[in-house]
Amino acid sequence: MSARPDIRLTGVSKSFGAAQRSVEAVASVDLTLAGGQMTALVGPSGCGKSTLLRLIAGLDTPSTGTITIGDETPDTLRQRAGLAVAFQDPALLPWRTVESNVALGRALARRPRDPDLVRDLIARVGLSGFEQRRPAELSGGMRQRAAIARALAGEPDLLLLDEPFAAVDALTRDRLNAELPPLWEARGATSVLVTHSVAEAVRLSDRILVLTPRPASVAADIPVPLPHPRDAAVLASDAYRDLCAKVTDALRDHQFPENLAAQ
Amino acid sequence: MTMGDATAPEGPAAQARAKLLPKGVGLLLALAAWEAVARITAGGFVIAAPSEIAFYIGANTGLLLRALGTTLWSAAQGFVWGNLAGVLLALVAVLAPRSERLLSTLALLIFCLPLVATGPILRVLYGPGTGPQVTLAALAVYYTTFLPVLVGLRAAPRGWFDLVRSYGRSRWTEMFQVRLPAALPYVVAGLQIAAPAAFLGAMVGEFTGAERGLGVLTVRALRALDLPATWSIAAIAAGVSMLAFAGVGALGRRLDLAPPEVLLAPPTDTRRRAWSGIAEALLAAAVTLTVWKGSMELFALPRFFAKRPEDVWAYLVTSPGAEAQRARLFGALGETLALAGPGYLAGLVLGAGLAMGLTLRPRLAGAVIPVSIALRSIPIVATAPLIVWALGRGATGTIAVVATMIFFPTLIACQHGLARTPRAVLDLFDVYATGSLRRLASAQLPAMLPAFFASARMAIPAAILAVTTAEWLATGRGIGALMATVASTSDYGMLWSAIALIGLAAVLAHALVVALERIVLSRTSAEQLAR
Repeated sequence: MSARPDIRLTGVSKSFGAAQRSVEAVASVDLTLAGGQMTALVGPSGCGKSTLLRLIAGLDTPSTGTITIGDETPDTLRQRAGLAVAFQDPALLPWRTVESNVALGRALARRPRDPDLVRDLIARVGLSGFEQRRPAELSGGMRQRAAIARALAGEPDLLLLDEPFAAVDALTRDRLNAELPPLWEARGATSVLVTHSVAEAVRLSDRILVLTPRPASVAADIPVPLPHPRDAAVLASDAYRDLCAKVTDALRDHQFPENLAAQ
Repeated sequence: MTMGDATAPEGPAAQARAKLLPKGVGLLLALAAWEAVARITAGGFVIAAPSEIAFYIGANTGLLLRALGTTLWSAAQGFVWGNLAGVLLALVAVLAPRSERLLSTLALLIFCLPLVATGPILRVLYGPGTGPQVTLAALAVYYTTFLPVLVGLRAAPRGWFDLVRSYGRSRWTEMFQVRLPAALPYVVAGLQIAAPAAFLGAMVGEFTGAERGLGVLTVRALRALDLPATWSIAAIAAGVSMLAFAGVGALGRRLDLAPPEVLLAPPTDTRRRAWSGIAEALLAAAVTLTVWKGSMELFALPRFFAKRPEDVWAYLVTSPGAEAQRARLFGALGETLALAGPGYLAGLVLGAGLAMGLTLRPRLAGAVIPVSIALRSIPIVATAPLIVWALGRGATGTIAVVATMIFFPTLIACQHGLARTPRAVLDLFDVYATGSLRRLASAQLPAMLPAFFASARMAIPAAILAVTTAEWLATGRGIGALMATVASTSDYGMLWSAIALIGLAAVLAHALVVALERIVLSRTSAEQLAR
């Protein structure tokens, strides 16, 4: 399979709980996410963004509808270790060092050992010098960075990032937003980013999907035609600022369910 | 730890020495007080003075050392077998989740079998030698290892499993990368409790007619009312148990394993229908009867002492003397329950009460908790005769033995539970400068309840062990004494009937506690049940 798989969602919905008291997290979503692109999912808290990501990862199965990635199901993609997830909760194993946790991303993906790559990734997420530390000795932001390095270590075809910078301070976040994209852009991996930050979504992605509150459905589909790399000049441009405003407006329109009903 | 710490004059070693000094003084004071009380009450034949103990140990060093060696060797073998069985059972329960409830019920049932009764039966089965000691030591430890390891194998947060699953890896990867490493601290905690328990099991095994060992010396000393000897053996057993407990704990720290937060029993699924509980109970009963009868037939055990389920039924229901036998058995059981029940409740209430009291006086906790951890490791067998001697053969003595047996584990479990109150919740109460009582009732008590109920469940087998041992060794009443009597007169019909009845009572008591636990926890800590 190519390293640039499309993601197709057809009539995907997801409910939790027993029949009567069930909560619908995702409502009938039809979508195609182009291969090799980064798509950002933005929306208010608890709108079902993470659920959608878990469905694409095959960690949850949809109540209705189907998901294909390239010509595979999420399950078969997982079986051959074609995807990696950087979880919102970093899920580092506390008995392993940073280096060992990052290397685990390769081991679990059944790729040959590559200490150089592991060290390079650790350096790129700014954790040089912390290779031998345990997760308990790191700050929340450092743990998230280690988790991102682990996700990249497996060289996935599909990279899923679930609010990976939520616990990272603003300055570090800015640096990571600048330094990390080359890592997945070079591979041409298809990626999906869940985020709260409009600026981050515009800066990192090629397309932004604004989701409605629970149950999640697509409220606005905004392409981001900015050139790569998104350097300081791009970020200072009017086009960038206009896009941020557009996404913010779309979010505001759909922040509360009653706004939807009023439309 | 930085280099600066090591070279500073107030280094950790110096601090440790500074802490040790008051402890040494305290120990000397306690010994002096003990000596004084013993001298004052010398006529009462209750307390042996430390000097008498020291003198006895000095005069019989060779004998005691040989006996200790024998008992330790049996305990060590039982320790290995019992823990292996406990870990294997937990692995099976995790790998085949459907089998878990059945496995847990059977494991509990076997753990509740009174050593007083299984000892003589194993003696007949094995003949002379160390077989019964090793088996009883193994039986005394497998359950207390099974439970924490089962919890530990499941203790990992969902994110870790998602990680393994997101790479499409199998349950084996999950087992080796996540579950086993996550369970390791729980294994160590289980082994820590198992170490003194194995010693206790080996000693009880020796009561049943071994040739050598500390258990043999205990029985001899009790029969001869030899106060210094009984106290000396109890002191040795207590010391060895504490050392074993501390040794395993030190090993865990050496391996850099953080102790698990609290040993809760595995959370169970709440979404069960009423009939499935009944169906499971019937299945468990059927499997129990099949295993009971099947193993006896398989090994062609003589019917004379290996009574089958139908023999017990005949003995209690259809045989000519059934009515009298039933009356004798139920009479003894009633007598026992009348003491075990209050002792059980007293131990739980006092343990939880003290744990809560200590949160109001944190400084006191620093002094009380280490002592309690040490005392928890002392085998009840060693202390039961002493407590009964001190408090008399009436109800008080037996109730005190049962309560003591339950008190320390409950205190420690509840203390752990209270410490698990989320920091942020406590901060919230602090922000509003809430009184410590209010904070205890609204925040800490709910956090303690899962640990409390876990210890209430574990206390059932402990109460059975304590009450039957006390009745057997000291008071000569109740079902413990009945079993000892009928074992010595080879009345195996009565012995097996007593075993079956105790097993049934234990499972019913357990079910009652679990039902109560569900009702309470569904209101206070739903997350404990929902997983």
